[in-house]
Amino acid sequence: MQLISHSGLATWLDHLAQETTLIAPRNVDGVLLYRPVQSSGDIVWDFVRPVLSVKEAFFPATERVLTIEKTGQQIRLNETVPDGERVIFGVRSCDARGFLAMDALFANTEPVDVYYTTRRENTALIGLSCNEMGETCFCTSTGGAPDDPTGMDLMLTEVDDGYAIQVITEKGAALLPEITLQELAGEIPQPVLNDPVPFPPMEAWPPQFNDAYWADMAERCLSCRICAYVCPTCRCFDVRDEPLPAENGSQHFERIRCWDSCAGEVYRQIAGGHNPRAAKGDRMRNRFFCKFYYYPEQYGPVACTGCGRCVDACPVNIDITEVMHAVQRLAEVEP
Amino acid sequence: MSYTTEIQATARDLLSSDQVSCVIGYEVGPRGRTRPAFIYTADDADRLVWNQNCTHNLTTYLHQKLRPNGYTSAPAETERVAIVVKACDSRAINVLVAESQINREQVHVIGVACDGVFEGAGLGRSDGATLQHRCTECGERTPVTYDTLIGEPQAVDTLDSEHDLAHLEAMTPAERAEFWLSQFDRCIRCYACRQACPMCSCPTCLYERDDSQWIGMGNGLNEKRTFHLGRAYHLAGRCIGCDECERVCPVDIPIGLLNRKLAGEVEAAFGYRAGLEPIPSPLTTILSGKEG
Ligand code: SF4
Ligand code: SF4
Ligand code: SF4
Ligand code: SF4
Repeated sequence: MQLISHSGLATWLDHLAQETTLIAPRNVDGVLLYRPVQSSGDIVWDFVRPVLSVKEAFFPATERVLTIEKTGQQIRLNETVPDGERVIFGVRSCDARGFLAMDALFANTEPVDVYYTTRRENTALIGLSCNEMGETCFCTSTGGAPDDPTGMDLMLTEVDDGYAIQVITEKGAALLPEITLQELAGEIPQPVLNDPVPFPPMEAWPPQFNDAYWADMAERCLSCRICAYVCPTCRCFDVRDEPLPAENGSQHFERIRCWDSCAGEVYRQIAGGHNPRAAKGDRMRNRFFCKFYYYPEQYGPVACTGCGRCVDACPVNIDITEVMHAVQRLAEVEP
Repeated sequence: MSYTTEIQATARDLLSSDQVSCVIGYEVGPRGRTRPAFIYTADDADRLVWNQNCTHNLTTYLHQKLRPNGYTSAPAETERVAIVVKACDSRAINVLVAESQINREQVHVIGVACDGVFEGAGLGRSDGATLQHRCTECGERTPVTYDTLIGEPQAVDTLDSEHDLAHLEAMTPAERAEFWLSQFDRCIRCYACRQACPMCSCPTCLYERDDSQWIGMGNGLNEKRTFHLGRAYHLAGRCIGCDECERVCPVDIPIGLLNRKLAGEVEAAFGYRAGLEPIPSPLTTILSGKEG
């Protein structure tokens, strides 16, 4: 494995920022977010994880998917496929693992989502291993690890004199700096791990569907949507056509899609006003069943990477690890 | 007796004598974070706690408790609940009563003469020392309405309440617009601010994106600006300054600044501060000749 010195890394990142769009963890008025940076000096190095996951660079909070122009009897649809190459630096393993879940739906299931897959193709991911897990992290319980390179193109891990570089894909190899890198002497240090959280197997979930637990645990939920919006795997969206300014005589619209969340009160409301998930307990149950049962059943991957974001951001401490403990306990009592 | 023991004893008494069906208070979760708790039996009362991380304004839950069939239905008249409030939260009770959202008789208010709550509380970021902004401004640490008082009434010195508005007011309008737009730009329209707010009690929010008849569903700056400024106006003269909206915001938008500015304007124009008494805001009841 090769080693890049601290100064070599800074020079390389400065170069990438010149050549392409470089996105990295950046302090925006005190909030850590993945944002474009102009130079390596803009990058924050010491962090657990940005508040929002890297998902927003592939599946943004709002995106235009097409425009609609109507002139007389003529209607023209223009697809608005994103373009532009990007490199994202400082990606955490839990975020890259989120692509297992996101790809399963957007890239590996028909119809393939052109907006998402184009961004995936045009973007290279440079991972940064965590030396230790954050207080709320539990990636090791959902199949990942703080230094797991799954989904990355390059993976960097901090060592004594700089960073060890693991080349994962061809795309990653093509990004490497054109300087000769030293060979790494010695081992890569192992990250410090948290105690694992129980991971209830899929069959543990359905028998708990009608348990009183869901209404109890959800009573304090505010039905905001933070947990879904910060999550690297939550991928629900809503689509709507909205008017744009138009020239005389013609009409102009855009079709947009926006994040949505099953925690919201009206998410499941249908024509006529009926809401099959009107109760908060039903909505929270859906959130956790989706993560560990519905999604793996339908698409394969578990829809939680153990990043801990929802645990940190929920204003009323609804804690997915507590739910995992509870479902495990319920399943043991009533196997 | 500690505040915690007193709150537990009060809850036990209210529940075992069937005076209330539920006590809304605080508990500490397995991760050590303080959070809202709903207590239904006297035996469960020992889950309740009081500490300086009791930041949540629990009055926001009164809607769901007292209007179980939704906001558009009449309040359930037989339901009676108890709720733990700080001085700031207690002002919300007065506004909710004044706006006919709840009947005062249906709420047993357990008021706490508090010592202030910490920055980062409830989110695992509390340093156990720094008081929240609202607490440094709060001179009357005794609830304005209560049925049971925990602790002794107390008054404390406050900081200059205008100090953090001064730098905004010193800006030119263009600078101020730039400041706010750069803040709103981070908003992800999760609506946690609205959901946490006890005063945001409309059956259908004007800005609900699933029902976007008034503003678009998108997350563009225009939509975000409209939401934030609209919400601020709807809270002018009604916001009681609990700062929950700002605390819950995942991207730290300083919503409290807007609210404090408008509260100051209402106070200057009408000599009214929301929630000190159960009377509605003059902004919602007084119309000038032209508007009338
Ligand atoms: S559910 Fe929570 S812990 Fe799991 S991936 Fe999503 S935000 Fe992270
Ligand atoms: S679980 Fe927490 S973050 Fe999610 S909707 Fe409920 S209150 Fe909001
Ligand atoms: S607007 Fe914010 S500070 Fe005012 S009452 Fe609502 S949550 Fe509290
Ligand atoms: S809580 Fe923050 S991010 Fe969410 S809608 Fe309110 S201001 Fe926007």
